[in-house]
Amino acid sequence: MSNIGYKPLYWLSVAFLTLFAIIWCLPLIFMVSLSFQSDENLIVSTAHFALGLLPWPFTPENYVSLLGFDETPRWFLNSFIVSVVSTLTVLVISASAGYAFARIDFAGRRFVFAFVLAGMMIPGEGVFISLYTMFADWQAHSTYFSLIAPNLSLPVGTILLTQFFRGISREIEEAAEIDGANRWVIFTRIMLPMSIPALTTLAIITFLWSWNSYLWPLVTAQEREMYTITVGLGSTQQGYTEENTGRIMAQGMIASFPVVFLYLFLQRYLIRGIVVQSK
Amino acid sequence: MKDSDAPSNATVLASVRRVCFSRRTIATVEAYLFLLPFLIAFGLFLVYPFIKNFWISLHDWDLLAVAFNPDAKEFVGMKNYVRTLWGRRMTWDITHLWHIKSVLAIGCLILWFATLRGSARLGTAVFWTVVAVTLVVVLGFHPGERGRWYDKEFWNAVRNTFVFVALAIPPIMVISLTLAVLLNRPTRTMAVFRTLFYLPQVLSVAVITLVWWYMLTPGQGLLANVMRLFDLTPFSWTTDPILAMWAIVIATVWWTIGFPMIVLLAGLQEIPKDRYEAARLDGAGPIALTWHITIPGLKRPLVFVFLYEVISHFQVFGQSHLLTGGGPGDATQTFVRYLYQTGFRDNELGRGAAMSVLLFLVMAIFSFLYLKFSTQRRTS
Repeated sequence: MSNIGYKPLYWLSVAFLTLFAIIWCLPLIFMVSLSFQSDENLIVSTAHFALGLLPWPFTPENYVSLLGFDETPRWFLNSFIVSVVSTLTVLVISASAGYAFARIDFAGRRFVFAFVLAGMMIPGEGVFISLYTMFADWQAHSTYFSLIAPNLSLPVGTILLTQFFRGISREIEEAAEIDGANRWVIFTRIMLPMSIPALTTLAIITFLWSWNSYLWPLVTAQEREMYTITVGLGSTQQGYTEENTGRIMAQGMIASFPVVFLYLFLQRYLIRGIVVQSK
Repeated sequence: MKDSDAPSNATVLASVRRVCFSRRTIATVEAYLFLLPFLIAFGLFLVYPFIKNFWISLHDWDLLAVAFNPDAKEFVGMKNYVRTLWGRRMTWDITHLWHIKSVLAIGCLILWFATLRGSARLGTAVFWTVVAVTLVVVLGFHPGERGRWYDKEFWNAVRNTFVFVALAIPPIMVISLTLAVLLNRPTRTMAVFRTLFYLPQVLSVAVITLVWWYMLTPGQGLLANVMRLFDLTPFSWTTDPILAMWAIVIATVWWTIGFPMIVLLAGLQEIPKDRYEAARLDGAGPIALTWHITIPGLKRPLVFVFLYEVISHFQVFGQSHLLTGGGPGDATQTFVRYLYQTGFRDNELGRGAAMSVLLFLVMAIFSFLYLKFSTQRRTS
C-alpha cells in the first residue's frame, strides 16, 4: 500500500515491525547464545545473563570440539557434496531441457511439456517407498548416488528455465543463425551467458532444497557416516539429554551456516525465483 | 508397365531424404538430445517410482522378508486399501460428523448465492456442489455398534493432519498479509525487515525443531526463563495433547511466513498506483484503501498462497517427528509420519505404499487446482 502522504503512519508501521522483528528473532538469538555457552553451565540454568539471550560466560568450546572429533564434519561434508553436485547437475539438465522446450519446434513438444508439468503434482512423499525398493534392488543405499539422484528428478527447474528462455528476445539468436551457428553454439555461447541471473535463482533454490531435505535422506542413509547434516542433527535431537545443550545448539548453527550465508548474499535471486513461481 | 506406375528408386530415396533430413526432423532429434538427461532423471526417479508405488500397494510386501527373498511378496489386490480405509460392521448415516457437513452445506449455500448474484460462475458452483455431496456421502460411513476401524491410528493421523493444517494456515495468511502490506515501501529499512522475516524459511526442519524445543521446553526454555521471572510455573506442553499440537503449529508459522510474504509483496507491487491516488482524491482513508483496493487486488496471490500452503503443510513430517515424536500418545501423529512408520518401523511397505497413493489422491485435488490456477494466470 503506497500511502506516500501518510508520514506518521510510516513511522507507526516501522515501530510495529521493529517490535515484531525482535519477537521473530528471539529464537535465533537464543540459539546463537546457547551455542556459545558451556554444557556444564547450561545444566545448571540457561538463564545466566539476560534470560540466556546473551552468551555469558562466553566460550567457543562447543564449536571446537564438534569440528575436531565429532561426526559433524563428516555430515557437513556429505551435505556439501550432495548439495553441490545436485545443484550443478540440475542446472545442466534443466537448462538444456528448458532450451529445447522454449526454442525448438519439435514433434511432441506440447505433449512432453504437459507431461513434465503434470509431474509437479507428484509429492515427494508419494514416491519414497518405491524409491526405497529401487535403491535396495541396486544395493545402492547409503551412497552419494542414492542421496543425489532423487534431487534431479524434480520438474521445477526445467519449467522455471523454460519460462525464462521464452522471455528472452530472439534477435541475437537469429543473427547468430544467419552467421551459421548451430544449436549447441547458440545454447552454450548465447543462451547460457544471457541467463546467468535465472541460473543463479535455480541454483540457490536447488541448493536450499538439497541441503534441507529430510525425509528421503533419513530413509536412504542407513549408515551414520553417510548421514547428511540435517539427518544427523535430527538423530542428535532424538537422543537428546539436557547435558549437551550447548553442543547440540552449536551443531544446529553449523548446519545453518551455509544456507544462511547463501541466502544473505543471493537473496535477490531467491526472491525473484519465488515471484516467478507464483505467477 | 508396372514399373512406370511405381515411383522410381531415386524419387523414393529423395522423399525418404526429405522426411529424414527435413528441418523439423532434425530439430526433433536435436530437441530430444537436449531433453534426454532431464527426461532420464524425471522418468527414472519420479514417474517410474510413482507407477511402481501403485504396484507395491497391491502386495503384501514385508520390507525385511523381500530384502532376503525377492519372491516373498504376495499379491493381495485391494486388501491394503481396505485395511487402511475400512472397518468391521460399518454403517452409514447422514448425521455422522455433522459439524463438518454443516460447514460444507453453508459453503455451498454461499457459493450458490454468489452465483445468483453473478459474482461466481455456474460451472464452479456445480463442481463444488458435486465435491461437497461426494464428501457428505463418504463421511457418512463409520463403524456401527460393536464395530471398529481396521486401522484406527490411520484415521487419528488423518484427523491430526487436518487439524494441523486448519490451525497453521490462518495465522500464516494473516501474519504474512499484514507484513506484506506494512513492508510495501521501497526503503532500505523495509528491505532489512524483509530479509529478517524471510530468514527462518531457509533453515532446515531439524534446525527449527531444535530452536523451538529450546524455546518451549519447561526445563531450560526461554519461555520458561521468562515465566520464572514472573513466578509462574512453565507449561509442560510435551505432556498436554493440545499444547503439543500448538507447539508444532507455532514452530511452523514462525518457519514458513517468508514465502507467502514475498508472494503477497510482489502482488501488492502490481496494483497500479493511480488506483490509490484516485481513491484518495475521493477522500478514502488508509483502512478504506486497504479494504477496497489492496485486498481485491490481491485475490490471485492470496488464492495461490492458500493452495500452496495447503499442499506443503498437508505433508508435514519433520515438525511432528522431531519436536513431539508424534506424542503425547498419538496426539501429534501426522499422515506422512504414520506412512513413514508403517513402511520403515512396521516394515509393511505394501500398506505404506497404499497410504502414499491415498496421500497423492488428496494432494492431486489441490495440485490440480494449483496447476489450473497458475497456467490460467500464465496465459492471461
